Amino acid sequence: MSMKAVNRRSFLKTSLLGGAAGGAALFGPWTHNRVYAAASDKPIRIGLTHDASGQFANSGQAEKRGSEMAVAEFNAKGGVLGRKIETVWMDTETNPQTGTRVAERMITRENVHFLAGAVQSGTANAISQVAQKYGCVYFNTNSSSPTESGANCHRVKFVWDGNGENFSKAAARNAINSFGNNWLLIYNDYVWGQNTNAATKKVATEYGATVMDEIAIPVGTRDWSSVLLKIQQMKPDVVAAAVGGDDFKVMRQQVHDMGLDRNPAWINNQQDWPDIFGLGADAAFGVFGTTWYHYLDLPGVPEFVKQYQEMYPTTRISVPGNVTYNGYVAMRELLRVVEEVGSTDNMKVIKALEGRVMTAKDRMQHFDAVIDANSHQVQQTIYLAEGNAKPRDDTDYFNILSWSDPEAIRSSAGDECKLESYADTPSYDQG
Amino acid sequence: MTLPAMQYDRRETTAWITRPILVMAVVFATLPLWIETVGLYQYLGVEVLIWIVFALGFNLLLGYTGLPSFGHGAFFGIGAYAFGLAQFEVWANLWFCLAAAIVVTGAFGAVTALFLAHRRGIYFALMSIAFGQIFYFIASKWTDVTKGEDGLLNIARLPADFGVAEVSIQSNTALYYFCYAVMMVLIVLLWRLTNSPFGRTLRAIKQNETRVAFIGYPVRLYKWAAFTLSCGIAGLAGGLFAMAQEGAYINIMSLQWSGTIVLIVLIGGGFVSFWGPVLGVILYFVARDILGAYTEAWLLWFGLMFVVLVMFKPDGIAGMWRGWVAPRLRGRGATTPAPRPAESRS
Amino acid sequence: MLYDLIPHIINGLALGLLFALLALGFMLIIGVMEVINLAHGSLFALGAYVALAVMVPDGGLPYAFMEPYYALPDVPRYVIALIVGPLVVAVVGAGLELCLRRTYGQDPLYGLLLTFGAALVLEEGIREIWGSSEYYLPIPRGISGGFIAGDLIYSTYRIYAAIFAAAMIGLLWLFLNRTPYGAIIKAGAHDGEMVRALGHNLSRLRLFVFAFGAALAAIAGIIMAPIWGIRPVVGVDAVVPAFVVIVLGGVGSFWGAVSAGLLVGLVVGLTAAFATDWSLLSMYLLLLAVVTFRSRGLAGKASVLES
Repeated sequence: MSMKAVNRRSFLKTSLLGGAAGGAALFGPWTHNRVYAAASDKPIRIGLTHDASGQFANSGQAEKRGSEMAVAEFNAKGGVLGRKIETVWMDTETNPQTGTRVAERMITRENVHFLAGAVQSGTANAISQVAQKYGCVYFNTNSSSPTESGANCHRVKFVWDGNGENFSKAAARNAINSFGNNWLLIYNDYVWGQNTNAATKKVATEYGATVMDEIAIPVGTRDWSSVLLKIQQMKPDVVAAAVGGDDFKVMRQQVHDMGLDRNPAWINNQQDWPDIFGLGADAAFGVFGTTWYHYLDLPGVPEFVKQYQEMYPTTRISVPGNVTYNGYVAMRELLRVVEEVGSTDNMKVIKALEGRVMTAKDRMQHFDAVIDANSHQVQQTIYLAEGNAKPRDDTDYFNILSWSDPEAIRSSAGDECKLESYADTPSYDQG
Repeated sequence: MTLPAMQYDRRETTAWITRPILVMAVVFATLPLWIETVGLYQYLGVEVLIWIVFALGFNLLLGYTGLPSFGHGAFFGIGAYAFGLAQFEVWANLWFCLAAAIVVTGAFGAVTALFLAHRRGIYFALMSIAFGQIFYFIASKWTDVTKGEDGLLNIARLPADFGVAEVSIQSNTALYYFCYAVMMVLIVLLWRLTNSPFGRTLRAIKQNETRVAFIGYPVRLYKWAAFTLSCGIAGLAGGLFAMAQEGAYINIMSLQWSGTIVLIVLIGGGFVSFWGPVLGVILYFVARDILGAYTEAWLLWFGLMFVVLVMFKPDGIAGMWRGWVAPRLRGRGATTPAPRPAESRS
Repeated sequence: MLYDLIPHIINGLALGLLFALLALGFMLIIGVMEVINLAHGSLFALGAYVALAVMVPDGGLPYAFMEPYYALPDVPRYVIALIVGPLVVAVVGAGLELCLRRTYGQDPLYGLLLTFGAALVLEEGIREIWGSSEYYLPIPRGISGGFIAGDLIYSTYRIYAAIFAAAMIGLLWLFLNRTPYGAIIKAGAHDGEMVRALGHNLSRLRLFVFAFGAALAAIAGIIMAPIWGIRPVVGVDAVVPAFVVIVLGGVGSFWGAVSAGLLVGLVVGLTAAFATDWSLLSMYLLLLAVVTFRSRGLAGKASVLES
């Protein structure tokens, strides 16, 4: 693990040499050549909208690796419908303004058939609005705001990650029995935090917990000492935290530093792999959720890890995590559906995806997953984990505690989703 | 200790329409016809126009009055929210919503300016950062209104109602021409304003605020007015941007974007030229699209360019044009040397 | 109630010392050179990254070559990091000063803009070298972990950091006020011509002051790294509070800045405890309140920066 490997340009180069990304990834506007070939051998172009800068640069690049793995897999088998798959990637910079522009460019200039990639909900929303306007199918791979498949759902958008509500449901049920009744809720004072906190509160009170207080933490908080002192003074059994992004990293560090990571019991929402990798098992504190882990005892998992390592031998994150996994399974499913319906026509693809059941075995999870036809969210297994006291190697940070059936932790945010009708969604097919 | 001055030929300053305005009008009128041929796309044109509007308004402060605001992105964002909220909550009419964006943002600017108008230089810069941050935090926290990081979504590109006919600006090209019309009107108005007695007073304040105050001008009032007006224009740009993106997002209000607009205007040569902001915006967006396609480190190169420019040619592109290109075009050497910053020691 | 308040007051003061530490280098450069160094935060971040490279094998230096070195115990490595980090950053700061020379004698706005550009370059440069990942700066066992105070647990490292900050503040004061070098620096702040007339090399003085200010930024970065974590954007988190502390304290006043740091720490600490959702705004509201009534801050004098 040398630092050289982190350099993003060298990463890009390796992925290109590996033939995964296809030649298009680095095409600037001036050197671009349109493909005027017969429809049958014209490549299928997929626009990748993964962040490479801004707050979620790391996660964006992790999901990009997943998307490219699936593409490489299909290209190795001869493509889809006998056509090669080409990807065009542009940095969306964790920024809605850039997201809008990139989506416009992907659709109107790069003529992509499909779009995939997002971590931050604002950026995902910006991309999905443009996608819906043109009718281009868009996969939101990793943004976990409940509003993504709730109030802000779209006919062309499919949401592949579990959302904040799924995670809090999975965690809350188990925690009350194990840790006690007096709960303190802390959350980042923005949409994701507020929604997730509301869901946690609802579930916790349903199961008989007493909510002592709810503390809203401003986004961008760098010093947690006052809050941590206050938590100690209140003496809760459980602190349920919906804190995200950089704030979570800083909080984790300061909780750890004060030695508060064991008592009280911490319930964190979701721990994304790129946010923790490299920091050691110590950094995983409390109980948290994830959709996948590279030491799940399931068939196919070791092979997938090996496939990742072969494709990205120099990447700093040496094993795939949940973010890469989501990127991979989403892209794989998209390509399978295109193969099945025999076309890149958006309506055919959308209809095939809605209600689609994916088996547990195929997705390397414990339960079957299904794409909800009404909210377009993938209902999937959620794992609860804690820091691993007995790691088997230096990547083994998590100890998986339990897993929840998708039905048991279904998010109610989907009720607020009103998809555009088929008729109101423009038909879109780049041929 | 002064900033370079804006110097224009008298023939230009008394005219309503000048040669550069005509060049602007022609270049941007034809842009949708050739933008795809050169490998770009229509939406980029829309964004460039909107940022030109924003940057021109910003330069009223930076280039004309010498006030470095590092919190202006906040007002751009407020304009976008105001446009969206006016559309959803009051009356979904293009003119009304744009007016609301201008008036609401102008009002926020007017209140902010009460705290800022008596500040100078660095103190002004810092206080503008503080206000920008305050607005950013409120927008981030007040999710019922702004929808926080999700964004205020589904803002429509409202049809332009001219009484006799209603013109749709739904497509990128139509929206482009609408923004084009707005920009051209704004350019002519700003050109007149900056060459009016009001504009000349602002320029004098930039050169020497104390002296202007001694002569008896109400300097604070002028600075207040310049700030408010500049915020109003930022609001207009924000309103247009809300339509372009069909949403209003919080990111634009962050410190980073407030800094970006300073960078853009300065690189273009906002200190010495009315047209500096235009040049800066074009350079920034084209560089971003082209460099950005080749390297993720494009901001590194852009930053380096900025540093070198501040060191060697703080008059920016407009200054280079005046110093090197324009005299040759005229074919008789340098008639009006580009104004240089005074070299006096502190 | 009062009993509950005491830990928060102590914590606020500790926080305040850290804010003051954050502002020291910024203050020195603004006071002597009348340059607003917007790259202060990026130098702060760079200091943390260099320390990281010195501390851990994964931190950016060629491992094979350095292997015996990383076998050292953590205390010597930490001390080396505390020396090497500021030195490297001082060199970068000196380079920045050489660039800045072209702006001397012009409007101070140019200095501000140049350092703003430099901040962007440094941050992007850090991203190129270290990537965007989060890093954790390990600290010697002796100063890590928590300790029990009454029925509360508090961070040992924070106590160490606060004491360190207080010591740095004291040392800097002694340096400026009790040594001949300090006298020259202070004279340079008031009257550059006089310094020159007395036979000192003004440009060398400025180079030294800027390098020194950068080194102080790096020290702050290394001290804050175990609390804030290390990310490329961490510089922005540092430069804004430093800015606030200086303006609140009054440009050019040493004790003004220190007391402003303590005040900001107390206000931020107490709002975070009792009105958490306003904690981040409190710093700015405090600034507005103070500066509206005392336009040069708590102890500021008129300075060239206002023109």
